[in-house]
Amino acid sequence: MTGKPYRIPGRGRLIDRAKPLSFTFDGKRMQGFAGDTLASALLANGQRLIGRSFKYHRPRGLVGLGSEEMNGLVGVGVGARHEPNLRATQVELYDGLAAVSQNRWPSLEFDVGVVNNRLSRIFPGGFYYKTFMWPRALWKHLYEPIIRRAAGLGRAPTGRDPDTYEQIHLHVDVLVVGAGVAGLAAAEAAAGSGARVLIVDENPRFGGLVDLFDGDEGLDWATERTRKLAAADNVHVLPRATAIGAFHQGYTLVFERVADHDPALVRQGAPRHRLWKVRAKQVVLATGAIERPIAFANNDRPGVMLASAARGYVQRYGASPGLMGVVFANNDSAYRTAIALRQAGVGVARVIDSRANPKGDLIEEAKSAGLDIQFGAAIAGVETGSGGKSIEAVKVAPYRSGSGRVVNETRLACDFVAVSGGWNPAVHLWCHNGGTLQFDDTLHAFRPDTHRDQIRAAGAANGILDTEACIEDGYVAGGMAGKAAGYVPLTPSPSPAGRESVAEGRVRGQASEAPLEPLWFSPATGKYNEGNKHFIDLQNDVTAADLELAQREGYESVEHTKRYTTWGMATDQGKTSNIMGLGVLSEATGRTIPEIGVTTFRPPYTPFSFGSIAGSHVGKLFLPVRRTSVFEWHKAQGADFEPVGQWRRAYCYRKGSEDRHAAINREILAVRRKAGLLDASTLGKIEIKGPDAGEFLDRMYTNTFSTLKVGRARYGLMLNELGFIMDDGVTVRLADDHFLMHTTSGGADRIAAWLEEWLQTEWPSLKVYVTPVTEQWAQFAIAGPEARKVLEKLGGDIDFAPDAFPFMSVKEGALGGYPVRVFRISFSGELSFEVATPANYGHGLWEAILAAGREYGIEPYGTEALHVLRAEKGFIVVGDETDGTVTPDDVGLSGLVSKKKRDFIGKRSLEQSFLKTPGRKQLVGLLTEDPKEVLPDGAHAVYEVKSSPPMTMIGHVTSTYMSPTLDRSIAMALIVNGRARMGETLSFPLKDKVVKAKVVEPVFYDKEGARQNA
Amino acid sequence: MPEPVFTSALSGRSAPAALSVSMREVVDRGMIDLRGDAKDPAFLAAVGSVLGFDLPLKPRTSSLPPTPTSSPSPGGGECLPPLWGKGRGGGDSQAPLQALWLSTDQWLIFCPRAGTSRLLAALREKLSGIHSLAVDLSDARTVIRIEGEAARTVLMKSVPLDLTSPEYRAGTVRRLRFGEIAALIHIVRENPDAIDLYVFRSYAEFAWDLLLATASAASALNLFGGQEPPL
Repeated sequence: MTGKPYRIPGRGRLIDRAKPLSFTFDGKRMQGFAGDTLASALLANGQRLIGRSFKYHRPRGLVGLGSEEMNGLVGVGVGARHEPNLRATQVELYDGLAAVSQNRWPSLEFDVGVVNNRLSRIFPGGFYYKTFMWPRALWKHLYEPIIRRAAGLGRAPTGRDPDTYEQIHLHVDVLVVGAGVAGLAAAEAAAGSGARVLIVDENPRFGGLVDLFDGDEGLDWATERTRKLAAADNVHVLPRATAIGAFHQGYTLVFERVADHDPALVRQGAPRHRLWKVRAKQVVLATGAIERPIAFANNDRPGVMLASAARGYVQRYGASPGLMGVVFANNDSAYRTAIALRQAGVGVARVIDSRANPKGDLIEEAKSAGLDIQFGAAIAGVETGSGGKSIEAVKVAPYRSGSGRVVNETRLACDFVAVSGGWNPAVHLWCHNGGTLQFDDTLHAFRPDTHRDQIRAAGAANGILDTEACIEDGYVAGGMAGKAAGYVPLTPSPSPAGRESVAEGRVRGQASEAPLEPLWFSPATGKYNEGNKHFIDLQNDVTAADLELAQREGYESVEHTKRYTTWGMATDQGKTSNIMGLGVLSEATGRTIPEIGVTTFRPPYTPFSFGSIAGSHVGKLFLPVRRTSVFEWHKAQGADFEPVGQWRRAYCYRKGSEDRHAAINREILAVRRKAGLLDASTLGKIEIKGPDAGEFLDRMYTNTFSTLKVGRARYGLMLNELGFIMDDGVTVRLADDHFLMHTTSGGADRIAAWLEEWLQTEWPSLKVYVTPVTEQWAQFAIAGPEARKVLEKLGGDIDFAPDAFPFMSVKEGALGGYPVRVFRISFSGELSFEVATPANYGHGLWEAILAAGREYGIEPYGTEALHVLRAEKGFIVVGDETDGTVTPDDVGLSGLVSKKKRDFIGKRSLEQSFLKTPGRKQLVGLLTEDPKEVLPDGAHAVYEVKSSPPMTMIGHVTSTYMSPTLDRSIAMALIVNGRARMGETLSFPLKDKVVKAKVVEPVFYDKEGARQNA
Repeated sequence: MPEPVFTSALSGRSAPAALSVSMREVVDRGMIDLRGDAKDPAFLAAVGSVLGFDLPLKPRTSSLPPTPTSSPSPGGGECLPPLWGKGRGGGDSQAPLQALWLSTDQWLIFCPRAGTSRLLAALREKLSGIHSLAVDLSDARTVIRIEGEAARTVLMKSVPLDLTSPEYRAGTVRRLRFGEIAALIHIVRENPDAIDLYVFRSYAEFAWDLLLATASAASALNLFGGQEPPL
């Protein structure tokens, strides 16, 4: 079949015949023109068959013209740039475009899966709820994999997406969704009042369907409005942008396809898609209306399309849906298509109108154009060529409302059908956030009723199909939106002005039309389901018989019917199928459509990309990563990093061929034998100042700080109101009324907020200011027997002698030329100083310390060595030894809980009986019988080992390491009555063995603390 | 004693050419975080006497040295020589000494980095006996200067506020969420815009990279007016 007969000479407003474009479909080279959509180009090439259907693998072609297309889904692009399930009607053609059909194997023309169609008796609605249920194991291993392969549509792309995506936030007074005549009028009115307006439309061109209803005059009106809006300072016009979801208070997601239509833009680095997060004071929905089909037997065959689509392909692209068409309608609107086809020289075999005797201007026009019109008749089915891939004729039968089975029918040769069952207002966005609907007896469709948000519908979306009335409705809605957003409408208001311009005849008045008579289901010869499928939802392969079956099986609620059959679900969201299905249900149940009600429309209106959801936050921007001032040095050393909150901390520094264990052991031994250097900058630091600072700290910590001497440091334990440990750290007194608190790295922000909350909401009378200073300081621990020598080597004005600088004290001064605060504190149990310097000096000081320490064997150590070192000393880590249910006594720190203080946070809770009761878990040390055996983290001790769980548990391991210092494994654990079990041996059943360990004191090394006091 | 080595958070980074804005790290800025009672006249007077101008008390504003004609010591109060640039006061929105409102009892005072310790000492001296907390946080934040017509549009890709609103004039200060991190913007100048973005130092690389991603020339947006009509 050559493409030539399908490109109509001299027709096609949007295509540029001077710019031919080459593209491929399933590898076959085809030609289109600039301005084509993929759909129009395929039609012009005579390509009727576009894909195979979801469930039955039936051949399918194009049905619609724009986003209402449910059938013509294709994959576009290759490799990592492949995108499945695109509506061919929305894909703008570019040179080199590569498209493939979907859900077919091995090829579109010859598809094996079509056997599903012949087996459709076992795939009715709800088949997966009743078939394949037994035996159970087969579902997982046999049925589901096969169904998953056979069903579905496109294939996901392979490889990492090479393109970029982004998001933007925009606040506007008025958002207008849809740039057809009503939307343009609304935007003009709102902008005229001075409001800031964003008008979006899913199409590349503004104007909506005005060209298909009002010809050049309507188009000129829309063009002029579009130019004005694009030039206005207070209007942003956004084409190729779909409002995909409407949410609370005017928050609307708009998905812009920035560069899909032009690969050159992507090559230049433009984002492929942009997701607009729009916050609008007022929203006007001018989303138009969607034509609905009529269900007749085999109405899914390629060549059956909506009447407006057939007209659109001819007028916009000069692409003919076929050589000889039949127009089938229950309303006047489709007569425009018959007339347009005739004018373009496309054959029209007949107009078949289900109404008995309609009268209207368009019908008269059709008659005078010489069109053959048959009233009181309907298409009872289509006859197809090989494999149902093309239409050869329709069967026409007399029709009167309520008629049952067809008894006599005539055959009418044709190769395409243009069908119209009326128009449904596109109410999806209206309904996303709870807008209610009312049934319109004229349209026989739902239109917007009430809404709690600042949102208005206008034009066809509001149930108005007459162009002039749409424009007026748009002006009114836009004017009201502007006013509601706080602007004064122009005087004279744009609405009368709009009316005038309409009255001036720039938009042709609507012809008088005969009323629509609803027709949902056209009966056929034979039974519903035997070669006579009446498709309602083509995307999900749901037939009229499926809907009726759901009723018979008790799924009477419309929401149940939807779920049982999948009608109106997935990416189509029932755009064409919703009302048609309701009509079928109405006839099947004898209830009216309003009585049946409508299913829920959910975002997104049409699919949008995962890339746009991620926006810029991919790769290194996926999550914020916090870096200390020494991060680059750690990285240059090839350090292994670990996440600590959002920080990346050096876990260990491997040298040469070392593995992690070897590196960690080396680092630990360096600290125990010589000196180690740790980047501790992530520790939380908070300055606390005021006359009541001491009192405040006394209330926040379990122990007392008001008695701390200036220049000295004290370890503090912080509880929540429940009496459980929430943080710990060393606080130093800088001056009488001035403290510096250290928190855990992960707790820094939380504790600062905690302090502020108590000051602001509970104790506003306390004169205390709290300022987090974590980010100001780089802070390093220099730990080990040689630590003092390293610091003395650096030089400065600080006396590091043991007497001058005792354990748990602080000094300020200069060190190696750097301004520093030095704290003599120890988390390793060694002689240890923590040196803090302003962060921008951090990197310099770090290198200076390493240089000074080289002769003493200093080595940098990471967080894992830090953890082993502290575990050897039995120091707890909040979050390891505590889990939010642990009291100070549980971890053996009851000595830090003041008995003298009047109050502190958690004091009252600690008095509760169940926190004092015996039998609580207590922190102990564990030594495994085999010193080489390292217990797994979280291993449970049990009273009695059995062959399989359940076993009654005594407690669990909280920290567990191989200690190079002791050359054996060590662990800490929370064990029921642990302190009374010293010397007991506990059993830890693991997956393949039982590990036995002796309960000991949780301090494994230097119990007297001689080393840190050195 | 060797000179200490100063390494700012973005010292290794420079902005590529193909951006819709120009951006650079501001490294020579000292920053003092000041807490105090805005209802305490003694506190306000003490701070004012050091700065040579009053603290901003209106939310989201900043204050500058007064014009030379109205003040005998522009850019420096009675106890400080005008070490931050004689003649650079005068209501110049780029004055090197400014106070930014952070909350009802918190301000960020910035000055040339070299003068920070003197300014801090002067503040502490004048504030002794007055309940307050002044801390040198010069290294806690990284400041990125974003300049150009597209500055706000670039920020709007990461900031959910209406930066095009007329309330965002020169001098406006706003704490906000940038991408996924806490930040502050100070609109230094308008037409063309110059905006300082303050982020905590540890997030500097993230902020810089996010700006690079969203400020690429190919992703530039022309918001409102003068657009190509979609026809």
